[in-house]
Amino acid sequence: MKFFNLLKKEIKDLVNLQMIMGIVVVMMLFFMLGNVMGSTMDEVSKMGSTINLCDRDNTALTAEIIDMMKENDTEIKLVDSQGDDYAAILSSNDIDNLVIIPEGFSEAFEKGEKPEIINITRMKSASAFASITSDNTAATDQISSCLTDLRYKDVDISEDERDIITDPVEVVDNTVVADKSAKISSLVVAGSLSLQGMLLPIIVFVLIMMTSQGLMNAISTEKIDKTLETLLSTPVSRTSILSAKMLAAAIVAMLQAVAYMISFSTFAAGMAGNMGSAINAGTNVASDVDTSAIIGEVMSSSAAMNQLGLTLSVTDYLLVGLQLFLTIMICLCVSLILGSLVSDMKSAQTLILPLALCAMIPYIITMMTDVNSLPTALKLVVYAIPFTHTFTSIPNLMFGHDNVFFIGLIYQIIFFAVCLFFALRLFNSDKILTVSLNLGQKSKFKKNQKQYTDE
Amino acid sequence: MDKVLEVKELSKQYTKLLAVDKVSFDIAPGEIFALIGPNGAGKTTTIRMISTLLTPTSGDAIVAGNSIVKAPKKVRESITYLPDEAGAYKNMKGIEYLRFMAGLFTNDPKKVNEYVERAKSINKLGERLNDKLGSYSRGMIRKVLLSRAVMTQPKLAILDEPTSGLDVLNAIEIRKTIKQLAAEEGMSFLLSSHNMLEIEFVSDRVGIIAKGHLLVTGRTDELKARYNAANLEEVFERVVNGNEIL
Repeated sequence: MKFFNLLKKEIKDLVNLQMIMGIVVVMMLFFMLGNVMGSTMDEVSKMGSTINLCDRDNTALTAEIIDMMKENDTEIKLVDSQGDDYAAILSSNDIDNLVIIPEGFSEAFEKGEKPEIINITRMKSASAFASITSDNTAATDQISSCLTDLRYKDVDISEDERDIITDPVEVVDNTVVADKSAKISSLVVAGSLSLQGMLLPIIVFVLIMMTSQGLMNAISTEKIDKTLETLLSTPVSRTSILSAKMLAAAIVAMLQAVAYMISFSTFAAGMAGNMGSAINAGTNVASDVDTSAIIGEVMSSSAAMNQLGLTLSVTDYLLVGLQLFLTIMICLCVSLILGSLVSDMKSAQTLILPLALCAMIPYIITMMTDVNSLPTALKLVVYAIPFTHTFTSIPNLMFGHDNVFFIGLIYQIIFFAVCLFFALRLFNSDKILTVSLNLGQKSKFKKNQKQYTDE
Repeated sequence: MDKVLEVKELSKQYTKLLAVDKVSFDIAPGEIFALIGPNGAGKTTTIRMISTLLTPTSGDAIVAGNSIVKAPKKVRESITYLPDEAGAYKNMKGIEYLRFMAGLFTNDPKKVNEYVERAKSINKLGERLNDKLGSYSRGMIRKVLLSRAVMTQPKLAILDEPTSGLDVLNAIEIRKTIKQLAAEEGMSFLLSSHNMLEIEFVSDRVGIIAKGHLLVTGRTDELKARYNAANLEEVFERVVNGNEIL
């Protein structure tokens, strides 16, 4: 009863307007990002199906090429332009890309030379999507494909023979994961995994940051306001007070995790859907690529993932959940210890930095590379950060690095036990009231503490 | 009559500092005992040891028959402690705070209600108790905290600087409440204060402490006679100056 009274108070303390606003803002951010990415992908799709073309050669050959492109369901916007002030040409026609068939194109083709086409792309920013939206690759590929058809039109060879000449190798992609293999391109597998791979690190990172900040603020405020002294003088054991604080923070962190997971899944699902439609649009433009084959490959990727063992079983999910729980508990213990040591809010904010770094290092590394591929010394340093094991838990389980996963799990359990031991010792000793870490500023608390220790 | 508090040669050694050195005194039921002394004298350390917040280096204190060293949890059932310049949970309403604190002393919901009603009758804040503590003035917060400290009718209420930072009217009201509770309900109080006038008005006995040593204890009128002083301030000055060798 007393414990639940404490627990209720701690949960109410943590679930404040600031925390709710934090969750709402992050959720809105994901939804907004999903929409932004979605609209960008839509734009890519639309851009992919329309080609801005300027025919300066204006011959029967170029007219035939344009007709062939139209027969392939390509929407062509013909643009008139003069000179080589390409910026002015794009602006006056209100377009971001243009393919110019220059004068002499047909002549070069007829001589058996390689005719030039001019590809103009406006770059609006450094973002990846900015270049995708104004990319002309599909258009130039299609013109090349038409020229190949025309080149071989009068040659007495079958279509199959022509295919053998133009596309002499049939690549059969195979991807091997541990002892399993599947007939699929590793790029397709990597693409399918990338969104899944983003989910856990983002959630772990946000949780570490928010949980540590919430608990450190809560405990340091209690110490500074002396409400902690009042609490410790009541007939409730210190272990109960500590447990209530940690359990409340763990419950709130788990609720946050669920909220973030839902919002991120919505974002990821939207992204994946839009990406699919963008791929399809792109393949429609390139007439020499079999669209159904691509769709078939996309659709069969889930089967290939199953075959490669790149899916998680219920047990795997439970193990990942256990690591996530351990990460939160370690974070809570460390925050509690640090929060108990500080004497003012500024110091509390400063002490979050080491925790933030411990979360940021594995977060960035796992986003960029596989931790297991790092040089041994660096790998050990990164794995010494207990949070790393949660960041890498899914790839470790998927790619058969079970040993690394379980060693990480045991390491986290030991790390948590040690942190809990120190937190309990601190909470059950005089130090909870007498130790004061003041990082460079004289606070009211420090003055009080000085007076107190003098007394 | 059995003592509510018996402090026996209580000492506290910090790494480099002997903050309290073999302090001994006692408090009878219904008695108000005040520890007075200059800054850094050892008042708060003594009070925190008796409140079981700090572990004594040596010595002991028996509160309502329980040792602070051997049975600190039992001791906490008999005491309440109000720290100097204590705050409260700003996001809680006054009534929620009282209910929360009452719930830490008993598992019985009826008792919780009883404690809260008692606190309400002592702090007389009425409808304001439905407002968040963050909106309270310093005087109002102190009244809530004092009512919280006495609502469970502890055998010993330990109040560190109970009126510090309060205006005259609020301070007078709190002193009256303390005196009334001791006289009418037999509650014992251990106070610490810098305010000699307050101590002279409110306490039955005082102990003058300096540099960790309890120099003298006695009734205010006895001490005034012994040191030929007009008031407690003069007693304090003569006792502390007379022990400068400390």
